[in-house]
Amino acid sequence: MKKLIYPAVALSLFFASCSSDDDAVIDDQNIDIPSNYVFERGGESTVQYKGQTTRLQMTAELVKSFMDFDTATEESLLNMFAHEKGANDFENSDLNASGKNIKSKTAASATYFSTNAVESAAIKADFESFISQQVNVVFPNENTVAEPGVAGQVADGSKVRYVDGKGLENNQAFAKGMMGALLADQMLNNYLSTAVLDEATNREDNDNNVLDGDNNYTTMEHKWDEAYGYLYGDPSIPTANPNSVLGDSDDRLLFGYLGVVNSDDDFAGLAQTIFDAFKTGRAAIVAGDYQLRDEQIDIIKEGVSTIIAVRAIHYLQAGKNAIAEGNVKGSFHALSEGYGFLYSLRFTQNPATGAPYVSPAEINEFKTQLMARNGFWDVTPETLDNISEAIASAFNFTVAEAAN
Amino acid sequence: MVAFSCSEDESTAPDEDTDAFDRKAMLINWADNIIIPAYTAFDDKAEMLLVETQSFTADPTVSNLENLRSVWMAAYLEFQNVSMFEIGKAEMLNYRNRINVYPTNASEIESLIASGNYDFSLPSTVDAQGFPAMDYLLNGLASSNDETVAFYTTNTNAQNYKDYLNALAETISTLTKTVLNDWKGDYRDTFVNNTSSSASGAVDKLANDYVFYYEKALRAGKVGIPAGVFSNDPLPEKVEAFYKKNISKQLALKALQATQNFFEGKKFNGSAKGESFKSYLEYLNTIKNGENLGNLISAQFETAKTSLKGLNDNFVLQIETDNPKMLAAYNELQRNVILLKVDMLQAMDINVDYVDSDGD
Repeated sequence: MKKLIYPAVALSLFFASCSSDDDAVIDDQNIDIPSNYVFERGGESTVQYKGQTTRLQMTAELVKSFMDFDTATEESLLNMFAHEKGANDFENSDLNASGKNIKSKTAASATYFSTNAVESAAIKADFESFISQQVNVVFPNENTVAEPGVAGQVADGSKVRYVDGKGLENNQAFAKGMMGALLADQMLNNYLSTAVLDEATNREDNDNNVLDGDNNYTTMEHKWDEAYGYLYGDPSIPTANPNSVLGDSDDRLLFGYLGVVNSDDDFAGLAQTIFDAFKTGRAAIVAGDYQLRDEQIDIIKEGVSTIIAVRAIHYLQAGKNAIAEGNVKGSFHALSEGYGFLYSLRFTQNPATGAPYVSPAEINEFKTQLMARNGFWDVTPETLDNISEAIASAFNFTVAEAAN
Repeated sequence: MVAFSCSEDESTAPDEDTDAFDRKAMLINWADNIIIPAYTAFDDKAEMLLVETQSFTADPTVSNLENLRSVWMAAYLEFQNVSMFEIGKAEMLNYRNRINVYPTNASEIESLIASGNYDFSLPSTVDAQGFPAMDYLLNGLASSNDETVAFYTTNTNAQNYKDYLNALAETISTLTKTVLNDWKGDYRDTFVNNTSSSASGAVDKLANDYVFYYEKALRAGKVGIPAGVFSNDPLPEKVEAFYKKNISKQLALKALQATQNFFEGKKFNGSAKGESFKSYLEYLNTIKNGENLGNLISAQFETAKTSLKGLNDNFVLQIETDNPKMLAAYNELQRNVILLKVDMLQAMDINVDYVDSDGD
């Protein structure tokens, strides 16, 4: 983990030494980096990411509805996934009025999927199948004790988990998979790609202060903020200073897990590193310093990818420990979360290669190993260790650091 | 980084390879002198409970109801001696949750009775079975004995009430026999021979189960949660044996005494003591030259006991009339969480294998 922490430490030490007379920081290229994510033009904020907030809320409500045994149907959940403007799919009427939906942005980034429609469609179908499996296989067995090959309940301490015949909680697979397929993919592989940031005349417009229609921002500024919104867009997170609610927001997606990872001593500082990079990169855009912007993109890509990888390993190891103790059914909840984060790993991006840290082929192979025969009923500690090691070796941390 | 390299030559690992404590002797004392005798005693009580339940349902009279209540209470108290041993078959069966999840879910019980259709092996029914469900059916249906008996005689669903009560007692007894028979069979040897000092070793596992029980089931479940330690307001409806009302203190004291006895290695039948957490700490003390942690923990058990004894027999009344006293008792219980979970486990080089769940 050391490599990732260094930039933040170096940066903050440097900042501290020259910030004594102002809470804004001036670096050697004379770029104003505010202490909070506050950017204005003519006294008005230029930061806006309503669309991201909408999609995060849609995801949260859909995930919740996975457990609505009494009223949810396959159709109602699929409609939430592929919402159409005006349809009465959500409890939240603002979401119903929106023309946005989850599905159109699932596995839909410029970098990974613009010329990869086949895989994009397959991934969308995977998420639809988590929905179908939940309603058609898990719901009917609400009052059945799960067995190998038979969906139903398993006890997890005093909690009850509902799994399919392979021991997978489809709601967990969906929720944890969305963090990659929607959030990380849009953030890292779409809005923070040069294909999007520098599309058409974006640089020229940004340099010349040409605003995006009637809006108070340049297109490039807005694209950056849309990336920001996928991490910090939950309504319970303040835009200016998101880390003030780290570990304490209503977000159960990437920001929520950033808080969890950041609370592990081995990864302390990750939240600050990512926030500083977002802030610095945004300031760099205002200043037209695209090299500094791109350096921050690399930090964000590594940092957000790290959240996903650490949680994948953490849950696979937690499941392994339960199995090793003879508590096979007690491993299913952790393994279901691990499966979802493993799924999300496909959408990470290593800035050194421009590709996922672990290759899609390898990830698919791991998913196949986890789901072989009766899935989690049969998976061995060796398989879980091998997958964990393969993920950790692609990053700069160990399985042990991620597991605790 | 520099700081770390400075300390390289003075870093030593004092307990590496020097911990030669006889773990097997401790495991044998636990299994043969404490765990198996405690399950045997509880199994007897559970069987009596089943017999008296069947007597009552065969002939629902006030007198049989009172007999059943007193046997139920004796069995509930005896259960406090085995609840901490959630290992092996008990862990696989989710034993503690199936015997004693409270508060019980009265409306779910009523709807299961009405339907006559239930499966207690379903994890979602843990709050509709065990001693707390029996508490509701024996003490919570009505305020007078005659009215209670009427549920089992003149009520239109009387047969369903009787069937449900029988099924509850049967389940407690069957689960207990399954766990006891496993200990009497192969599991005893598996357990005492699993002497490795790793996360999967029997000492590490049971130490974790024991501390988990003390922290979550005893300290939080019996005292902290109803006293409102984990919520905005006190939650008196969450006390153990809510419908019986006046035995919540007795149950908590029994559980506390059982955890102290186990800590000190006291034989279940008798007062002799064998190898235990405490003797292990004494052993480590001789090689570490530190404070006598074992004595600190025993003394804290006594302090907590005194504090609990000062409370009302009925924790609901205690919480409603003088909750600070309840909170003070909680604090005394909490002090031993720190000594057991942090100091003791560290001294024994045992990793905590449970974390607070992330809530989803």
